[in-house]
Amino acid sequence: MTGALYSWGLLVVLGSAVIGFGALAVEKDDLHRLLLIDLVEIASIGIIALIGTDLAEALILPGLVVGIAELLALSQIYLMKEDLQDRPIQIPRIEVLQESPAPLILSMILIVYGIILSGFTGGAVAGLGVIFFIAARACTENFHLLELASGFSWVLWIAAFFVFMFLPGYWYLALMGAAVGILIKVITKMSLMGVMWEARS
Amino acid sequence: MYLEFGDIVIYFSPYTLSLFLLALVFTVLVIASRPERQLDIAFGADAYTTKDISLPEMRFRRFMAIACGLASMGAMVTGDVFDFCLFTSLVGICNVGIVAAVRSRHVQNAAYQYGLVALAGTVPLFGGAAIVAATTGTLSLIELSKTVLPAAPAVAKGFLVLGVMGEGMAPFYAAKAEMFRAPGAPYVIMCSLSSLLIFLRVIEVVLQM
Repeated sequence: MTGALYSWGLLVVLGSAVIGFGALAVEKDDLHRLLLIDLVEIASIGIIALIGTDLAEALILPGLVVGIAELLALSQIYLMKEDLQDRPIQIPRIEVLQESPAPLILSMILIVYGIILSGFTGGAVAGLGVIFFIAARACTENFHLLELASGFSWVLWIAAFFVFMFLPGYWYLALMGAAVGILIKVITKMSLMGVMWEARS
Repeated sequence: MYLEFGDIVIYFSPYTLSLFLLALVFTVLVIASRPERQLDIAFGADAYTTKDISLPEMRFRRFMAIACGLASMGAMVTGDVFDFCLFTSLVGICNVGIVAAVRSRHVQNAAYQYGLVALAGTVPLFGGAAIVAATTGTLSLIELSKTVLPAAPAVAKGFLVLGVMGEGMAPFYAAKAEMFRAPGAPYVIMCSLSSLLIFLRVIEVVLQM
């Protein structure tokens, strides 16, 4: 019964991909094509997920990362070719965000909770708190410091994996190193996005 | 010959080793060489014009060409179907990156269209790898080459070949050909070499499964 469900799911996802490709063939606008391509890529992630084994979890993340990287690259090229790079962005002025202490409290709660969670999920939660704070308070940060922290944390994450492979006896150290590394990596990446958004406004 | 790196297995055979060495030699050439000026002949006169490349553009293109070379090297020797798909996607991104810094709108348009095709190519690529994993239970090329496991279905092999063709083989190479209008050999040549190498490797991968 479960196997039949997976087959139906695969059929639905493949059908969605075919419909997406059909829409892509008809679409003329470059931006809409990019959006449709991203939609079709979700279908590929669905195909991977429908393997239905533990291996699927290990395969989805690299597939997502590659898809996001390609999407970011193409978005940047679209901005360059359409000459949209220095367009000013106006963040709406919302009194409850920009004048009350609520954003600070909420951001602190999210950051502390993210640090306790650690790992990728913790990084995402804490990063969200940082973005929320930056968007609400309109403060600016040093890009280079954030990028430096991001780079060093990435190295820590990779080093932790090396320790896992070559020195398995020190697995706890590697586990903590990987958790802290990915936590800082995701926080800095997400806060960088928030800072770039703010810096262009 | 296998080189185990945790659960990542690097697989050297005479075929993959020769492709790897080709990619390595070309990557070293890219590291060592300086960009050439693109010449445009002025028709009707004994004259030509050259296009100068700015230093930031040169550095970025050299970096992306080296990254493309490294990704090609990885794709040549990987012993895992999914790693091959990841390296192939990385080759596609790097190919876009090699010409992304060029200030010509025509080249950027071509790079964008090529990027869309490469992005579309990742769908059958990862789908094929997923089908191989689901039907055979493994992604290891070494295990798949043995006759103990059931053979991978033809549709999975077809998807893998289609995905690699989307990275720059006929009939999808039209946009890639337009990208070569960008100034700055030898970095641009890495685009065609990387596509050729991954196509040669995917033939070997598909025949092994």
